[in-house]
Amino acid sequence: MKKRIAALLLITFVIILAGGCWSRVELTELAIVLGAGVDLAEDGRILLTLQIARPGAFTAGSEGGGRGKEAASWVISAEGRTVPEAERFLAMKIPRHIYWGHCIILVLGEELARREGTGIVTNFYQREREPRENIYVLVARGRARDFLETYSSLERTSAQAAGFLERMKTGYTVQLRELAEMLVSRGIQPAVTAVEVTEAGTMPGQVPGGPPPPQKEVGVAGTAVFKQDKLIGWLDPWETRGFLWLKGEIMKGVIIVPGPEQPEKLVSIRIRRGKTKIIPEYNGEYPRFLVKIQVEGDMVEQQTRENLATPEKIKLLEEEMASEIKARAEAALDKVQGEYGVDIFGFGEAFHRKYKKEWRKLKYHWDEEFSRAEVEIAVDAQIREIGLLTRRAGIPEE
Amino acid sequence: MLEQGKIDSKQAILLLISLVLPTAILTAPAITVKQAAQDAWLSIIVATMAGLLIAALVTGLSLRFPGKTLLEYAEEILGRLPGKMVGLLYIWWFLHGNALILDEYASFLCSALMPDTPVIVFFVFVTVVAALAVYSGLEVLSRFNQLFLPLVLGLLLVVFLLAAKDMEVTRLLPVFDKDAAAILKGAVIPASWFGEIVIFALLIPFLDRAEEAPRVAVTAILICGLYLLICILVVVMIFGPHVSARWIFPTFNTIRVVSIANFLERLESIAIAVWMFGGFAKIGIFYYAAALSSAQWLGLKDYRPLVAPVGVVLVALAALCRNIVELLNFLATAWPPYALGLFEAGIPLLLLVVARARGKGGRGA
Repeated sequence: MKKRIAALLLITFVIILAGGCWSRVELTELAIVLGAGVDLAEDGRILLTLQIARPGAFTAGSEGGGRGKEAASWVISAEGRTVPEAERFLAMKIPRHIYWGHCIILVLGEELARREGTGIVTNFYQREREPRENIYVLVARGRARDFLETYSSLERTSAQAAGFLERMKTGYTVQLRELAEMLVSRGIQPAVTAVEVTEAGTMPGQVPGGPPPPQKEVGVAGTAVFKQDKLIGWLDPWETRGFLWLKGEIMKGVIIVPGPEQPEKLVSIRIRRGKTKIIPEYNGEYPRFLVKIQVEGDMVEQQTRENLATPEKIKLLEEEMASEIKARAEAALDKVQGEYGVDIFGFGEAFHRKYKKEWRKLKYHWDEEFSRAEVEIAVDAQIREIGLLTRRAGIPEE
Repeated sequence: MLEQGKIDSKQAILLLISLVLPTAILTAPAITVKQAAQDAWLSIIVATMAGLLIAALVTGLSLRFPGKTLLEYAEEILGRLPGKMVGLLYIWWFLHGNALILDEYASFLCSALMPDTPVIVFFVFVTVVAALAVYSGLEVLSRFNQLFLPLVLGLLLVVFLLAAKDMEVTRLLPVFDKDAAAILKGAVIPASWFGEIVIFALLIPFLDRAEEAPRVAVTAILICGLYLLICILVVVMIFGPHVSARWIFPTFNTIRVVSIANFLERLESIAIAVWMFGGFAKIGIFYYAAALSSAQWLGLKDYRPLVAPVGVVLVALAALCRNIVELLNFLATAWPPYALGLFEAGIPLLLLVVARARGKGGRGA
């Protein structure tokens, strides 16, 4: 009997302890941060803006069929000298524990990135245990706060929309860990996705009787170019494409080339896959680079009337495609190398991999070396499929 | 005989893996990459070879004195007083080493998981559980280990495989970027972890078949080396050398990066499970070593009365550590000469040389 009582007591004790009530936080006590934005306030302090999920709206929205009833996010800002200080000031306005574990995007305002750099922001997100290494880092054209104050027609919140845009790899995407790697390596300078607020589409029927207002949504706006941790310029979406070709990043997209017989009409080729190889050479004075781009694509549309489904025409299209890609890559290279003078492509790292001894001397002034480096781009393009059609329909038979 | 239980060779291998791997797996990449950058994997290979040498030294020495532990044959070789001195040093090292492991264990749980819990809670809880295991004897400890270690090793491999999506082999290039000195420097600390296998000298008398001891030690070191090698390759291929070197627990960060199809992610509970289990097993083995050798030193018939006092000393020693910076600094600078130089290679080598010179011991006597 005594043993049984002892066992019962022991079990009760274990059950109570194993429940883990120490610093327990229920879901309803969390303010889940989806996106964070950092701007420079007027007095030079940091303005931290958080987009916080309103979980109630997440379930109500799906049953109610349509948004607009209850907003799914709450955007709130506070100032501070450091990010944690601003976070503490925010804690005075947010009645729950600020939880970073689900933060998807970290947006840097243009002012902040240009004047202060990323250094005063990103350290907190690496050191703290809640934010993750794979947060997407974005630079807003304008203020980060304005970017977070948008909403999304398809996703529940604009932070999620931005996260999905990143995951689709429509532009150059960078996670926090990759930014850290680029910041600390001498062989590459950081480049980060540039984003902006755009007026994207309308939602018909939203306002009864009137014309639908344009939606303020998030959009990718090219690439932000950094020198060390400071923003020095931008690449527009077209140049970003060229940049991605040089980086050898997986990308989706369409190449438009003129038709072989009717140059005023266009042919569209969808890229299937591509591969980039950077081959460095060094003669002891300055480095040279040969960039070999291999690309495969499918023809998806022709505006021209000619029959493109012949080996000769396909060959011509392939040549056009190669020169189009080369032109894009060269445009990006000219701007970055000539205007900004920083190596965001990672040529330095490629050089390091091949010439490790020489790199030890060159790495301290790599950007200057890169600025006068000669880069040759060679593109090998191939068309694989032409869709479900051979000759174009809709032309009267001869 | 202080210990009644016997363990077979397989259990011994698993026990030795638990003795080396747990703390190493989480911090190894940062420590070696700091010295050897992307060549850290070469450092691990060098360290594994050093570990094999120490294993050969320790088992060779022990086999000369069948049925005796390190403390017993130290007395036989060096004479009573110097032997006792050496024994006391080892007892101190088991205690101090274990206190450092406790500190590491608690600071990881604190910084990665439960920031509101005071470290003393982790110290006390794990020590109490380990005390129970040690009290139950070597057999219980190794059976427990036999049950859970394969799970831990399997989970680690799965997690590393899942991280493959974010790996880039180019991050490992160029090979031999650092000179041999840097690679050797990077090998010193891992070698001091492999060297912890010196504790095996206390366990050999309790092996089913003591003559298999060299094979056991070599297998354990090779498995540990393989795991550390994979771990370092994975971490560097994900973060690159510069970032890897800057984390405190890079393997943990690596597991956090895993995200497959926006669905299979946030696997860090695996890392924490590995750490909880592995840390416990490692602390248990060191604890056992401390309790057993104290009993032998004092000439007791049973080590069990010493389990509780040793635990108290352990927690007190662990609580001396003021912060993680102090701990990391100690582990990076003082630990290698202290552990590797003195206890893992120095004293065993001295014992072997003297034993040979004096013609002590069974084989080659």
